[in-house]
Amino acid sequence: MKRQIRNAVVLLAAGAVLAGVTGCGKQQPAAAGVGRADAAANLAESLKVDLSELKSQDGQPLLLALETKTPPPRPEDPDTLPETDPGHWYDMEYAGWNTAKENIPSSPKDGAIGKRVIAIINGDHPYLTAYSAGMKKVAEAYRMKLRILSPNWKVDVQNQMLDEAVNEKPDLIILIALDAKVAILQVRKVNQAGIPIILSNMHPDHEAMRYAICWTGPDDWGQFRMLAKVWADTLNRTGGVAYVRHAPGGSPFFARTFGPISELTAYAPEIQTLDMQAPGFEAAKTQQVVSDWIMRFGDKLVGICAADDSAQAIGIVEACKKAGRSDIVVVAAGNSKVGMDAVKAGEIHAITYQSAEADGAVALKAGADWFNGLTVEPVRYLPKHVITRDDVEKFLPPQW
Amino acid sequence: MTMRKERITSLLAALDRNRIYVLLALVFAIMPLAAHGFGTVNNLTTVLKSSCLNATVAIGFTLVLICGELDLTIGATLTLGAMLTIGLQPHLGRPGSFLVAVAAGALVGLCNGLIVTKARVNSFIATLGSMTILQGIIYIYSHGASVSVTGPADFRLADFLEKPFVPLLTPRVLITVALVAFAQGFLTWTRTGRNFFLVGGNRETAWFSGVNPARYVVGAFVVSGASAAVGGALFGLSMCSATSNLGAGCLMDVIAATIVGGTAMTGGKGSVLRSALAVLTFTAMFNGFNGMGFPSELKILIAGLVLALVVIHEAAAARRHERARGRRPMLMEELRRKAPLQKKESRT
Amino acid sequence: MPERTGYSARSLSGLFHRAGIFGAVALILAIGALVSPKFLTAGNLLNTVDSVMLLGIVAVGVAFVTYSGHYADLSVPTIMAFSGVMAVEMLRFGFVPALLAGLATGLGIGLINALMVGRLRVNPIIWTLAMSYLTMGVMRWLWSNQQIYPDVKGGDTGAGRLFTELYRHEVFGRITLPMVVLALFVVTGHYVLTRTAFGQQLKLVGSNPSMAAMTGVRMPRTVGLAFVLSALAASAGGILITSLSKVGAYYNGEGYDFDAVTAVVLGGVTLTGGRGSMLGVLGGVLMLGLMSNILTLLGVDTFAQRIVKGAVFLAVVSVSSLLARRMGRDDA
Repeated sequence: MKRQIRNAVVLLAAGAVLAGVTGCGKQQPAAAGVGRADAAANLAESLKVDLSELKSQDGQPLLLALETKTPPPRPEDPDTLPETDPGHWYDMEYAGWNTAKENIPSSPKDGAIGKRVIAIINGDHPYLTAYSAGMKKVAEAYRMKLRILSPNWKVDVQNQMLDEAVNEKPDLIILIALDAKVAILQVRKVNQAGIPIILSNMHPDHEAMRYAICWTGPDDWGQFRMLAKVWADTLNRTGGVAYVRHAPGGSPFFARTFGPISELTAYAPEIQTLDMQAPGFEAAKTQQVVSDWIMRFGDKLVGICAADDSAQAIGIVEACKKAGRSDIVVVAAGNSKVGMDAVKAGEIHAITYQSAEADGAVALKAGADWFNGLTVEPVRYLPKHVITRDDVEKFLPPQW
Repeated sequence: MTMRKERITSLLAALDRNRIYVLLALVFAIMPLAAHGFGTVNNLTTVLKSSCLNATVAIGFTLVLICGELDLTIGATLTLGAMLTIGLQPHLGRPGSFLVAVAAGALVGLCNGLIVTKARVNSFIATLGSMTILQGIIYIYSHGASVSVTGPADFRLADFLEKPFVPLLTPRVLITVALVAFAQGFLTWTRTGRNFFLVGGNRETAWFSGVNPARYVVGAFVVSGASAAVGGALFGLSMCSATSNLGAGCLMDVIAATIVGGTAMTGGKGSVLRSALAVLTFTAMFNGFNGMGFPSELKILIAGLVLALVVIHEAAAARRHERARGRRPMLMEELRRKAPLQKKESRT
Repeated sequence: MPERTGYSARSLSGLFHRAGIFGAVALILAIGALVSPKFLTAGNLLNTVDSVMLLGIVAVGVAFVTYSGHYADLSVPTIMAFSGVMAVEMLRFGFVPALLAGLATGLGIGLINALMVGRLRVNPIIWTLAMSYLTMGVMRWLWSNQQIYPDVKGGDTGAGRLFTELYRHEVFGRITLPMVVLALFVVTGHYVLTRTAFGQQLKLVGSNPSMAAMTGVRMPRTVGLAFVLSALAASAGGILITSLSKVGAYYNGEGYDFDAVTAVVLGGVTLTGGRGSMLGVLGGVLMLGLMSNILTLLGVDTFAQRIVKGAVFLAVVSVSSLLARRMGRDDA
């Protein structure tokens, strides 16, 4: 035992010494102190970069025109309101709008050309592959050095990656938080190191928005409110509906279920929520849940809203077909190839449009704007659109 | 001739026994050269910080493995520990919620242990069932969301836990090191600790020696649950939050680290120190890969490769050992060298 | 002194033990009938079979591995995904070549597993875990983290349409192709386990490996074949799940490893091996499906369902283990 300890200590010491020796030599030289003349030239060139020609794989422009909205005033105490009231979800839905910023670094105003950016996404999924592709297109246009890291859905690995990123002192960090609340300390850590950070895609807790420059991404709540209205109109604003939820832990878990529910409270009060379940992203499990719903509710069930138009949608469509209930109006969050095919075939009534490539591109563009010294609003939304059979062709070939 | 061959074999055997130290040294030797910025103090601190969670969980898991059992609930228990520490904080205060979290983890371990010893259910099955139940409980407790605390005192605690007070060491790292050292000392230097190896190696002999295997197995599970809860609780405190997916990848990572660290799945052999070092090795390795810009799939591939090589090597060594068992090479060599037996005068 | 048979002395527990999983299934059916009048309808029961038929197909293969005392095959999910993706990729050569390619992929991985666990006697849990990492890494690397689509790969040949039709094809009324495949697998598996030499040898290997080796059972071959069968079943399940989801993706099949072991153990195959039957596995799978069905009909939350399923699983396994001990059939 003693010998083992001795061996271990010797080896570790040797390793540390070796590491230190080689590490010292490899110290990253401080970010090139750009002279004032260079900075101005960089800025001028950077402002001239034109991204309007870039297109995503589906033929739509990569950098779609962003939407903005004015959030309503915050209710006194959202937690006391019932879940069916939109006010209950105010903090989640409008995270970042009215948050006081703390210790945000000011823009160096020396252009975005050649900047070093580290992007940490939340995991691996074909949507995120497209997201990364979109971000890389913008990085190429500005000749930025972009590195994209993925923790494969593990929170502790994402923390590790953030620590590593902070150590490297890049010019900008972009983060897709794995969890709204865990994001608070993650963003604060980056903020305290003096590195600008932009949050993307997943809504963080409003506390986290204090420390970030801005948030960009799809307006999950907004697009599901929009979808709910289209859905309700097709249902003639009456009937019983059920919700297939997203995975617990993220913002879509609430946005894609309580968004429509709270919207319909006012818009179509005669629509009744029958049930909501979270079978995950498996077609077979979703099929079983929906078959059981049809068995349980019979003709009372006239509509189903799903958080995913791929595996979940397939399960729903199969269940409806087997039960002979193709009359059920199905809407979902899009827009994957599977979902769009289903819309074309009339199996799904409508899906939301969410350009994965634009999601990634817009995040980095916000960073570029910040480098250029332009104003960056605290929240930037991707445009919303509801895809139906009439216009689904415009969005093919699919991004994922 | 034999002496040199013997020395080589014994050297190789020593290297194999201490393979985790070899791997650790290898990683720390290669990474600074391959990965940019690996050897900086900041990065090494990051590596140490990121190993804390899995290393703490590995303490209890190794103990269970030494007893010859398996505990699949560690991921769910660590999530439970984190959730309770953060979630109960407004009601019970910081020390109270921490204690409740650890107690909950120990309780989970106790239930596992009782099912395994009293109902005589295989530990793989029993912990598979408990894992499912725990996951359901966690989701229901958190309503599918996450919990957090945002008071300035909480941020102060988180900062305290995570900021290094000497280069390389943060309080959380220190706590983890202390726990690992304590556990290793307990296992190697106390009689109760050594009895765990007996229970895992040969349960019947343990019984005959007056050691009650059931009690030790239950104890191991309780420690496993408690250590997982402690790891999760510390992580939660350092992040001021806890999410229901916290323990997602933990089980497989800890199994891989424990096996690479030299603990046998059959029980009776193992070391908490080595498991912790294995966690450190893997963390350092992946840290280096991030620095080198490796994509996810390459990291997964290498993890699989390392695990496969280690486990093949172990099996090959076991096969060789089996074949050599019962032979006495020294005696054979001596007989070969001596002259053939002379016909002795027979006394009739 | 009359001989204690164990059955007559404790007739109720003996009956329960003999009925085994089918007793539990009958109980669940009774509970379901009480819960809802629509439960015992053909439509509802077929829905239940629908939801677990893929799991059943995979569980038949995993049962061979568990029966041989090697716990579980953790590489099943990645074999499923890989077979599916490979099949979709090969659709440009036609429908049948694609299916063969998918099955061949599974066979290949199964052979590697067989070699390692059968011949080298590497620990099965760790090896199959390592194999799943390797397979996942290769799969994601080969297809650049993207998913592929049957209709795109099949092009104009119609192979894509055939492929997606595979899961949905109705053979007879509401009986779909996967159900037929499941029935075929269960029957064949049962036959192999009970009537072939391989099955008897597997039973011996599972209950007493050293005895098996001593009586001349060719361990590497027998154990290896179990893993090959598991991989083939996973392959078939993978092709079907890919057909269902209409995408070839690396995340198909997630969770099937533990779910299959749950079903297999529930069905009476103990982890130490040598015990159980393929019909029991079918019973275990059905029980899982029926439980989900009843709980959803009762409006129980998805997460609460997990707790119930876990608790029932533990209860069944504990009770069955305790009963076995009481009747003198002692083994863990």
